[in-house]
Amino acid sequence: MSGIYSRQSFLGKDSATLFREIRTGVVGLGGGGSHIAQQLAHIGVGRLAIFDPDFADFPNLNRTVGMTFADAVSKSPKVVVAERMIKSINPDAEVWSIQDDWQSDFQALRACDIVFGCIDGFSGRAQLEESCRRAMIPLIDIGMDVHKDDPYSISGQVVVSMPGRPCFRCVGFIRQKDLDDEGRRYGEAGGNPQVVWANGTLASTAVGLFVQMVTPWCRIRPGSAFVGYDGDGFTLEHDMRLTVTGKNPCEHFERIADLGDPFWKA
Amino acid sequence: MNVHFKLTAALLEDAIADLRRPHPFAAERAGFIGCKAAACRGGALVLAHTYIPLPDDWYLDDPRFGCVFSADAMRAAMQFALTNDASMFHVHLHDYRGVPWFSRPDLRESSKFVPDFWNVKPDLPHGTLVLSADAAAGLCWYPRQKSPLRISRITALGFPTRFVGRVE
Repeated sequence: MSGIYSRQSFLGKDSATLFREIRTGVVGLGGGGSHIAQQLAHIGVGRLAIFDPDFADFPNLNRTVGMTFADAVSKSPKVVVAERMIKSINPDAEVWSIQDDWQSDFQALRACDIVFGCIDGFSGRAQLEESCRRAMIPLIDIGMDVHKDDPYSISGQVVVSMPGRPCFRCVGFIRQKDLDDEGRRYGEAGGNPQVVWANGTLASTAVGLFVQMVTPWCRIRPGSAFVGYDGDGFTLEHDMRLTVTGKNPCEHFERIADLGDPFWKA
Repeated sequence: MNVHFKLTAALLEDAIADLRRPHPFAAERAGFIGCKAAACRGGALVLAHTYIPLPDDWYLDDPRFGCVFSADAMRAAMQFALTNDASMFHVHLHDYRGVPWFSRPDLRESSKFVPDFWNVKPDLPHGTLVLSADAAAGLCWYPRQKSPLRISRITALGFPTRFVGRVE
């Protein structure tokens, strides 16, 4: 099996070992999370924790990487589909498959070095960010939406929440108004519309940020990231909100009481 | 039982910058890091929050050792632990490149003063770290464990996120 990673050796002489040892979490295995799980397996990430309570169904087939028609017929759990795909690429990968909400296994989430958030909704994102911040886990969030806009437009974003740096609220990605309006804002084009090409662009950007975060290959060290996706013009651009707030410390998770278990016992 | 110590890259830079400052008579400096703890699958996380530098007059002039700190230093660290319900980790610097380790006097003295933190916070892990210019190592006194545990992973979070201490 020698030479599997020879074409990515520019990432650093220890990169293969690093990827083998690092544990990444993927929360949500739909259109975005399935792409990310596949790419993590390809680059050699050896330890994954994957979380999703749902089962395969026909409406997932338009975008879920690794899912087959037979999975939709048999209603396979999404974690089973993702684990099968990961191990078909990297048989040595250790995969913790949690067929439940991520909140059901906090301890598995906390064992992750880096987490990818691939879930719908602002309140879910806010909860996941708070849990990651409490365990000092960098969180890379991706999301897309289709807006009804004569006739439709596609947009999305990839946002990094790095401990000690601006959080989703600091950069204006999550606002109280969004949390309040959430039910009304989502699904204007019918049932959480998602398409494979936009998911793939966002997932690839997220995995690129992950690799940039943990390997020395690139001279650009952004400190954090907030990348907006224009799915109509096919462009990715840094969001100015991070440029404005990026040098400020986080105001929302700065206290020592925001870390760890409030009532920790060995 | 794996203990994973995490700190931000900014806190690590601040600590190293402070520990590199020359002292009027001590050969090296020391500090403390106030932390929180969290359980995770397979072990525990120690999460660094505050670096506590020691003022010059909290060092004692003892030429047998690189650094000896006074009772004032321990008192301040213990007060921080008590006020913030915090784990406390002593930290010092061996300023070369590569994976550092503790000298024999480091190990002997740490085994005396680190368990003292259990007098104020008996249920929390406490410990000691040694930093180098590009790596780190540590020992953790874990509640109800007879011997200190070697910290299995030390991560400095940022762009880049660096795994500065790894024992797998």
